[in-house]
Amino acid sequence: MGGKVTCTLGEIKNRADFIIYWGGNPAECHPRHFTKYTLMQKSKFLPRGRKDRTMVLVDIRETKSVRAADIFLQVRPGKDFELLTILRALIKGQKVADEQIETTGLTRETLEDLVLRMKSAKFGAMFFGMGLSMTRGKHMNSAALLTLAAEMNAFTKFVAMPMRGHGNVTGADVVMRWQTGYPFGITYNRGYPRYNPGEFSTVDLLVRGDTDCAFIIGADPGATMPRPAIDHLARIPTIVLDPHVTHTSRLAKVHITTAPAGIAAPGTGYRMDEIPLPLRPAISSPYPSDEEVVRRINAAIDEHPDWRHAQPQMLTNQL
Amino acid sequence: MPSCKLLMNPMRTAKQGVQVNVGKFTDDYEAIVTALSMHESDMQTLGVVDGDKVRVRTEHGHADFVCEKAKVPEGMIFVPYGPPTCQLMGGDTGGTGMPTSKGWEVEVEPLDE
Repeated sequence: MGGKVTCTLGEIKNRADFIIYWGGNPAECHPRHFTKYTLMQKSKFLPRGRKDRTMVLVDIRETKSVRAADIFLQVRPGKDFELLTILRALIKGQKVADEQIETTGLTRETLEDLVLRMKSAKFGAMFFGMGLSMTRGKHMNSAALLTLAAEMNAFTKFVAMPMRGHGNVTGADVVMRWQTGYPFGITYNRGYPRYNPGEFSTVDLLVRGDTDCAFIIGADPGATMPRPAIDHLARIPTIVLDPHVTHTSRLAKVHITTAPAGIAAPGTGYRMDEIPLPLRPAISSPYPSDEEVVRRINAAIDEHPDWRHAQPQMLTNQL
Repeated sequence: MPSCKLLMNPMRTAKQGVQVNVGKFTDDYEAIVTALSMHESDMQTLGVVDGDKVRVRTEHGHADFVCEKAKVPEGMIFVPYGPPTCQLMGGDTGGTGMPTSKGWEVEVEPLDE
């Protein structure tokens, strides 16, 4: 089974009476999430607000989010996939051996209670963070959770949503998706978009040293990527558009200071439920926006039509 | 010198989120991304106390952190993502496009200052 059964945060705010956070720490990383969408809001369907909602937190340690949870499930590190698979079996009434449950660090009673609560909910919502998607198993863990959410719809309404990180990462995925059909890891080197994570994704390209130039807009891979990727960025001509001095701008050959988007430059930000929100600048900036810089670079390239036809990575050209 | 194998989980904190917007080249940011949370018994095994420096090694590199006692599970250490954790991260994404960035098996040893 593939895909994601999801909804907007507005629906969750108004309807979700059962919330699960899995491998995320919203109290620290998304501090308005509880108050604006998942726990504190009152609505027509949840008139008592927090009292009408149940929140379950699944994590490997007690984070600050535990204080906001009704139930905390401390899963053993690296056992998220196993726990999700066991829950998928239990909701369908399939047999699960005690020793399989023991590997997760939880008890049968706890899981049976959780399954009962999930099935009894009117509207369940599962949010998952990097504690699920960036540990061993990665996308398979996310797929297991999305499948559990989809399968729960045989019993009651259930949705799932990733807890996205920095500003507008959802926007990057959404725009690439409607432009190319793919969210990331895309190459245009044959003149049309092709997708293959591991081959065309940024970290892999940089670690293998496949790129001879890098153009980075509003990101700081110099402070987030593995060292071999950072070393390669320092070797090649790297051009950075960023309002701040960053680790990447320091290793770049060119750093163009731009106006911060949403503060001093207009634009569109995508919320984590993929709702586009127009951003009006609150202040003005002497610096150009990222968009303006890219437009001016494109205009400069247009003055050299011969550059447009150079496609050194095309297989046909190499042959 | 005692050393022990622990499970390292880089993570984010609210303080770090704020400090990113203040500046990544400040003493405060440096202190945040080098603060390593550890269980009391693991600190005793290593013979370190709050404020002591430790070196963390993976097969990909090493980085130095400042220990602080915290309510974390025994056998696990936690540190905010930042330039030091980049030194420890491997480049292999396993075909997914993202390297594994949590649950690293690391070796920790105290540093004599």
